[in-house]
Amino acid sequence: MIAFVLRRLVWSLAAIVLVVSATFAMVVAIPADPARALVGAHADAETLGRARAHYCLDRSLPEQYGCYVGRLAHGDLGESYRTRRPVADILWARAWPTVQLALAALVLQLAIGLPLGAWSAVRRGRWPDRVGGVITLVGASVPTFVLGTLAVYVLAFGAGWFPVAGYGEGLAGRLHHLLLPALTLACAGIATYVRVARAELIEQLAADHVRTARAKGVAEMSVVFRHAGRNAVAPLVAVAGVDLGVLFGGAVVTQTVFAWPGLGRETLLAVLDLDLPLILGVTLLAAVAVVIVNLVADLVVTRLDPRTDPRFDGS
Amino acid sequence: MPMGDRCAFRVVALAVAIALGGCDRDSRGPRYRGAGNATPRSGGTLTCSTSVAVPTLDPAIAYDEVGVMVVANLYETLLDYDAAVPGDPTSGTRLVPGLAERWTVSADGRSYRFELRAGARYADGRAIVAGDLAYALRRVLKMPDSPYGRLLSGITGAGAFAAGERDDVPGLEIADERTFVVHLDAADAAFAYAMAMPFSAPLREDFVVASGGDLRRTVLASGPLRLDRWDEGQRLVLARNPHYWDPARPFLDGVTVLENLPENTAFLLFEAGRLDLLDHVAAPDWIWLSEQAAWRPFLDTRAQMSVFGSRMNVTVPPFDDARVRRALNLAVNRDHIVKLLAGRAVPAHGMLPPGLAGRAELPPYPHDPAGARVLLAEAGYPDGFAVDYVTVPNDDANKLAQSLQADLAAVGVRMSIRVLSWPAFLDTVGRKDGAPFSMTSWIMDYPHAASFFDPRFHSRAIGDASSSNDSFYAVPEVDRLLDDARGAPDPAAAVALYQQVDRRLHDDAPWIWGYHAVMTEAMQPYVKGFAPHPVWVRDFRDVWLDLDGRGRRVPR
Repeated sequence: MIAFVLRRLVWSLAAIVLVVSATFAMVVAIPADPARALVGAHADAETLGRARAHYCLDRSLPEQYGCYVGRLAHGDLGESYRTRRPVADILWARAWPTVQLALAALVLQLAIGLPLGAWSAVRRGRWPDRVGGVITLVGASVPTFVLGTLAVYVLAFGAGWFPVAGYGEGLAGRLHHLLLPALTLACAGIATYVRVARAELIEQLAADHVRTARAKGVAEMSVVFRHAGRNAVAPLVAVAGVDLGVLFGGAVVTQTVFAWPGLGRETLLAVLDLDLPLILGVTLLAAVAVVIVNLVADLVVTRLDPRTDPRFDGS
Repeated sequence: MPMGDRCAFRVVALAVAIALGGCDRDSRGPRYRGAGNATPRSGGTLTCSTSVAVPTLDPAIAYDEVGVMVVANLYETLLDYDAAVPGDPTSGTRLVPGLAERWTVSADGRSYRFELRAGARYADGRAIVAGDLAYALRRVLKMPDSPYGRLLSGITGAGAFAAGERDDVPGLEIADERTFVVHLDAADAAFAYAMAMPFSAPLREDFVVASGGDLRRTVLASGPLRLDRWDEGQRLVLARNPHYWDPARPFLDGVTVLENLPENTAFLLFEAGRLDLLDHVAAPDWIWLSEQAAWRPFLDTRAQMSVFGSRMNVTVPPFDDARVRRALNLAVNRDHIVKLLAGRAVPAHGMLPPGLAGRAELPPYPHDPAGARVLLAEAGYPDGFAVDYVTVPNDDANKLAQSLQADLAAVGVRMSIRVLSWPAFLDTVGRKDGAPFSMTSWIMDYPHAASFFDPRFHSRAIGDASSSNDSFYAVPEVDRLLDDARGAPDPAAAVALYQQVDRRLHDDAPWIWGYHAVMTEAMQPYVKGFAPHPVWVRDFRDVWLDLDGRGRRVPR
């Protein structure tokens, strides 16, 4: 197992280097002058020249890349061109709210999606299945910006059940502010979990070992959750691993609508302004997060389903 | 449907009905009213928002609208612009004393002498002295990434100091503790306007050194407000500066700026009474507010010191022919533009916005497609031509590009739209061999005609790359008029010269003149003394809250 983890870590490191290098290449390939982001659209040639020299933007691309990697090796992610704030500070400040939102959304997806999927599978063709189908359809087809705006208008502004926007203060305030954006972000994912859980469970419920269990007179709850459910969990964990990576990086719209101080909006602005140090910092963080989450998910799946263990020889 | 199913659906339906019912308010007017105080009342905290984050509080770096708005309330400068007065388009653009109680200009226009107010202090209680002003300007000149160094390049010795060729700036003279003199290489009537910009605010060297040179979050306030707390990206809390030179100002105890609040969300918070001011109101919301009798008295607009349109590279065909450029100006329906922007614009027929000294009375370009076709035919394009148009990813810019496309199609010009990110856009339009036709805009650095004309139409502003004169318009007569106006000792003579330039540019039409943006601001009925400021956007000095005796808002 240790060899497996080490091997994965080496590949993960290679993947991270590749991701960061590719991002660097893509950003510098854009025919634009990042010095403009530093000193504004009114800057004259002399001002631009001084800014370029100060931020090494007048050097060749290999030199710029070498400069970035060299600083990175010393733990220096540089300064945002737009705000002059150290990138590490920005990531540190924005990562925790991002994690909170992602985890809360994942918990909601699992807490709502799994039981609904299981219920749909057990009551296949009856009204719980139809409700699950409607939720799947709505969740998967309504864009987040529509859902988020509606949620703000109806539940926060109209009914007054939730704060309209912001991060909140204190544990209770934070949770109160977190619920609506997490629910909005979770909606599309809930649909995924309903679909996957339903399909997996239906497949498992038709399996031979489940039929045997039923024939032996095992209680239906036990059949569903112990015999069928356990085998259906492994694919769900794999989906959750990928999903968490998406939630970390892909919550731009939700964070914007709810003014949630996460990394998403910061990333969007960084891309629009060609804020290279911040783009690279966010990419690096996202790559590391995705790699770690997937590694953990793989380990959990291996634990749940020994057939996926690389040492499994089929016997 | 079985009984259980029906029950479940009823519960869901009831919940939706309750929630939607909450939105269906009988009245959606203001929730609070003024308490009826006849004179300004001190106290209370005003809450407003921005749809972006405040990038920095360093006055030498802050350059965007929100950053400048905040910094201008934290830092006091030698000179200031007068308060905005509703209905007076020239208000807010005239110089008035700030930290300097008086200033004089030498007969040759090359030396400015500022005399500091007695008792001027920073928020930490220490005195502001002339040396602090020289230090702040030297700091800007030394910063490689300050956007403002170029505004100080006319100071004697500034260039050599910035380049590291000398250790002092002979043009910055500290005559005594309260007298600061600036010597310029050449007469420059616009220089005084730069001395009203926050980057020129005094700074104490020991404070900056103790902050490690980093004033992003550390503020040595000299303005009406000081920094109390900043949760970056979320909220900025400003409090009254107890040592502000004007003991009667500000009236407010503090100002809270909520950051990163989307326009739609800000509108909901404003309606709910949780925001006191609302700017950059989205078009549908502005139309809705304007139609509500209860809200109408609490809306204000003001033409921004800006101009928007489309710029053409006048050195390449077909734009090298002034008849083509005039034809395109005739093809554009400016009333349509104003409608598209929900009234948040006034048509432009030249460069300078309403209220700015130097603006000439220009004959408007009418919407005249037939006239445009005649001019195009005269120029040798009877069937029009095909052209690429570059714009930026912005809702208004996209709408206007499509409107322009339709207007030009009506005179035979077939326009394809290309959208580029802002940095890529600036790169291509700043090169002579880049995109010849694109959207353009200009927002002043300071409210002076030179801040509009010189960077955009003086031949000095043309370079191999990154030209701010991106029409590549080089007319010796215009250069001479601009140089003469800068050096003119008599302001009236300078205004007359700038009016000549305005007329000449209107006729030469290096741009399709589009519109001047209008700032929109909605305020709660209890917010008094506020008007959108053409330079500072939000100047909180004279703002007060009309609250009851206990400092509470009075429900309507």
